[in-house]
Amino acid sequence: METPFAFITSPPTPTRSPSITIHNSHCLPSSQIINMPPMLPDFSNSVKLKYVKLGYQYLVNHIITLTLVPIMLGVSIEILRLGPQEILNLWNSLHFNLVQILCSAFLIIFVATVYFMSKPRTIYLVDYACFKPPVTCRVPFATFMEHSRLILKNNPKSVEFQMRILERSGLGEETCLPPAIHYIPPKPTMEAARGEAELVIFSAMDSLFKKTGLKPKDIDILIVNCSLFSPTPSLSAMVINKYKLRSNIKSFNLSGMGCSAGLISIDLARDLLQVHPNSNAVVVSTEIITPNYYQGNERAMLLPNCLFRMGGAAILLSNRRSERRRAKYRLVHVVRTHKGADDKAYRCVFEEEDKEGKVGISLSKDLMAIAGEALKSNITTMGPLVLPASEQLLFLLTLIGRKIFNPKWKPYIPDFKQAFEHFCIHAGGRAVIDELQKNLQLSTEHVEASRMTLHRFGNTSSSSLWYELNYIESKGRMKKGDRVWQIAFGSGFKCNSAVWKCNKTIKTPIDGPWTDCIDRYPVHIPEIVKL
Amino acid sequence: MASITTSHSPSLSVTLHSKLTAVSSEPTGSGKTHHELSALDRAMAQHTLHMVFYYRDQDELFGLYDLDSWRESLSTVLTMYPTMTGRLLLEQGHDGNWQVRCNDAGVRVVKGSVDGTLSEWLNSATASQEKLLASWNHMPIDPTTWSPFRIQVSNFKEGGVAIGISCSHMLADLTCLASFIKSWTLVHRNLPITNPPSFTPLPFSPSPQPLSNGHAKPPPPQQAKDMANATFKFSSSTMQQCLSNIHDICPNATPFDFLCALFWTRISHLKPLKNNDQTHSLSICIDFRKKLLKEPIPFGYFGNALHFTMLSLEGEDLGSVVSAVNRHLAGIEEEEIRCAIERLGSSNRCMYGEELTCVCMESLPYEAKFSDNEKPVHVSCHVGNVAGKGLIMVMPSCEEGLARTVTVMLPHEELAELIKDEAILQLDPTTLLSDI
Repeated sequence: METPFAFITSPPTPTRSPSITIHNSHCLPSSQIINMPPMLPDFSNSVKLKYVKLGYQYLVNHIITLTLVPIMLGVSIEILRLGPQEILNLWNSLHFNLVQILCSAFLIIFVATVYFMSKPRTIYLVDYACFKPPVTCRVPFATFMEHSRLILKNNPKSVEFQMRILERSGLGEETCLPPAIHYIPPKPTMEAARGEAELVIFSAMDSLFKKTGLKPKDIDILIVNCSLFSPTPSLSAMVINKYKLRSNIKSFNLSGMGCSAGLISIDLARDLLQVHPNSNAVVVSTEIITPNYYQGNERAMLLPNCLFRMGGAAILLSNRRSERRRAKYRLVHVVRTHKGADDKAYRCVFEEEDKEGKVGISLSKDLMAIAGEALKSNITTMGPLVLPASEQLLFLLTLIGRKIFNPKWKPYIPDFKQAFEHFCIHAGGRAVIDELQKNLQLSTEHVEASRMTLHRFGNTSSSSLWYELNYIESKGRMKKGDRVWQIAFGSGFKCNSAVWKCNKTIKTPIDGPWTDCIDRYPVHIPEIVKL
Repeated sequence: MASITTSHSPSLSVTLHSKLTAVSSEPTGSGKTHHELSALDRAMAQHTLHMVFYYRDQDELFGLYDLDSWRESLSTVLTMYPTMTGRLLLEQGHDGNWQVRCNDAGVRVVKGSVDGTLSEWLNSATASQEKLLASWNHMPIDPTTWSPFRIQVSNFKEGGVAIGISCSHMLADLTCLASFIKSWTLVHRNLPITNPPSFTPLPFSPSPQPLSNGHAKPPPPQQAKDMANATFKFSSSTMQQCLSNIHDICPNATPFDFLCALFWTRISHLKPLKNNDQTHSLSICIDFRKKLLKEPIPFGYFGNALHFTMLSLEGEDLGSVVSAVNRHLAGIEEEEIRCAIERLGSSNRCMYGEELTCVCMESLPYEAKFSDNEKPVHVSCHVGNVAGKGLIMVMPSCEEGLARTVTVMLPHEELAELIKDEAILQLDPTTLLSDI
């Protein structure tokens, strides 16, 4: 339950704010260990305190009901005591005349109208479709390492590095790379990149049309996001050309915005749907790998080759009242945080040329620390919007206490598990999921969707959130009223989140990317896979 | 990828465009990680196998390459053959023999194109040009990144495609290679596989012996000098006639018996004898799948199931030689096969060609149809690293029934003589893909 009162907090300062643990368990040489979040004292695990906690939560979260109920009871007892005759006398003594009644009525109607008109339109997610790559694109570990050895035959150290990354990556043997990368050496031509874009985007859109019964001419807004491949004409123009969409369509193509661009597109769609009534918006999130497969031997730049895989998703959003019945989710919040003002954050994922002039994306060693900072900013903004009153009160009290009484009091980290039933953490890499699990104190089941998506599909960039959501649905865990939190990180450095509320209990999908393998999951992913 | 071209005939060249790795559609899983090679497999280490299937491709199944459905059916069928997608490695320990690590690494697929039409090719290409349709990489010292199987898809001008498949003879023989292509076509047409592959070991093998020369090494490529190839196609009616001619002498002669005897006698004329009391001998290679009675090996057994048996030439009369061959083959017993395998040492020798060898191949590669109504126009087979005495291969032909195709590999001068031989020309064969 969300409280209407303002959440008072001081902006987090580097010295005193609750520091989030980002333990760099990456293979990059220098690891930075920042302070562990202070755990609550051990006696909180005892059973008695647990019940006290539950009682406190119930009390604070339902405070309004709990105060209103006695008042209502009191009033009804009073009315019953007075009797009907007394009430009528009371009514007549008020001396209402027609003008006053009319004015009051108009006032009420006016206020109600203003309220309903200024309420933001509800955005429904009608359905979405994820791209399932063809089996010919599969990349087993042995094939990946063999190609690496054949192409980098003069750099055995780089080959060793890639092998170590792959062993610890959390990826499985069924992830896919686009057809052009299967060649020895890879053939990343522009034609091949367009081919991959057509394969991924058109498959996802065909699947979306089939699932929703949407007609191409009914699309009012089209947003395509693909960070690294931006041809002319744009990918959105490619979609419009293929499906012969209307000439007055509002189309947008977002490029360069990293792995969190999917949620940026959702945010953009939401804003547009506030302005245009009765409209459909299609969002296509993908990452085209063909042109960006790094061909050099600089280690920091070889990392994305090991993790990024082919994938894409198409989502249908609508603000039409008629979609209320069949929509799967309702968009509740989108929170975007950008840390680009900080130079280190800006440079931490940087596309540049290596010594030989080959272009690649270089990941800095501070990546995890910066991700932690960005996450902290995001959840500070997100907290007041989603946390129940009990958590917010606790956080407020500890904050006041630390400011006024004793700065050495341990800061309270709110329990987000009470605000959400499901978590979709962008499957950027094993380290990211491990850290978020530790900091938000999530159980294995909460992060299962993220880990299994990383295993089955690899890091598909902006579309990974949708594969994770599909995993939860395929497992039959999505019930009406469940809240989902999607978190994505991206270059810049950005941390974006979206909160969805499930509109109706979702039946296990029969044609999603997980249909043929969901029974094998969850699998145990070993720390290190021996290659 | 460097393009390799050759120009024997002015207009026919083969260009190799690219190579990629095709993988199975499902991971092998933890079930089968290593596949032991049998003693017979290891004995074939010197040789390689190459087959080329020619199709008119009227349905244009092989046009787009990356998005074609044959790529998907190839991946699906490779799931059933984990030894094909694995890599060779030497066993640890003092045994040091070859085994296959089934790690899903995949098979190489090479894309080629021919600067001529399919008909032009079949009319005028030579056997050495045909080798470019099933191009091969020799095994390097460290075979961990070397693919033992290699498939090549070459497109002809104005339609037509040649599917070449090459492999190390340690991992397959001609029967199972043809079986693989047939399974691939069945998967492509969504039909059930008739002979699913089986990897259970042969029921008899000698105890593993350490190699006499220490470590097993990759066999060095050593093609005997100056060998030439030619292919002769004999029609069904011709064979019918020949068999009826010798019906009195050998009533149940098969086309193989006849052709084997014919070529043996004709080649013996051409070969000089070292000393007078030496007779010409022939090594006949047969497939013993389904010949063993006590513990039959399934037809889908994937690996070498070949038996080499020696025969000496007595007399020149064709009829008597045919019956000698016929009797010899009928008389092969399980014991003989078992003894031959157990006698296989650990030496690295040529199994084909140290004596004139004749291979009997009765499995039917012409059933490999990618579309329901199109059989291969022609199928060629070659064995690599054959020693100097030569090799004769008798295979079924595109025309069904008793028709046969015979591919002969001999030293250049002998083959030049053989092509003009009267006894063979009498049978009106169609000659194609000849080096002469």
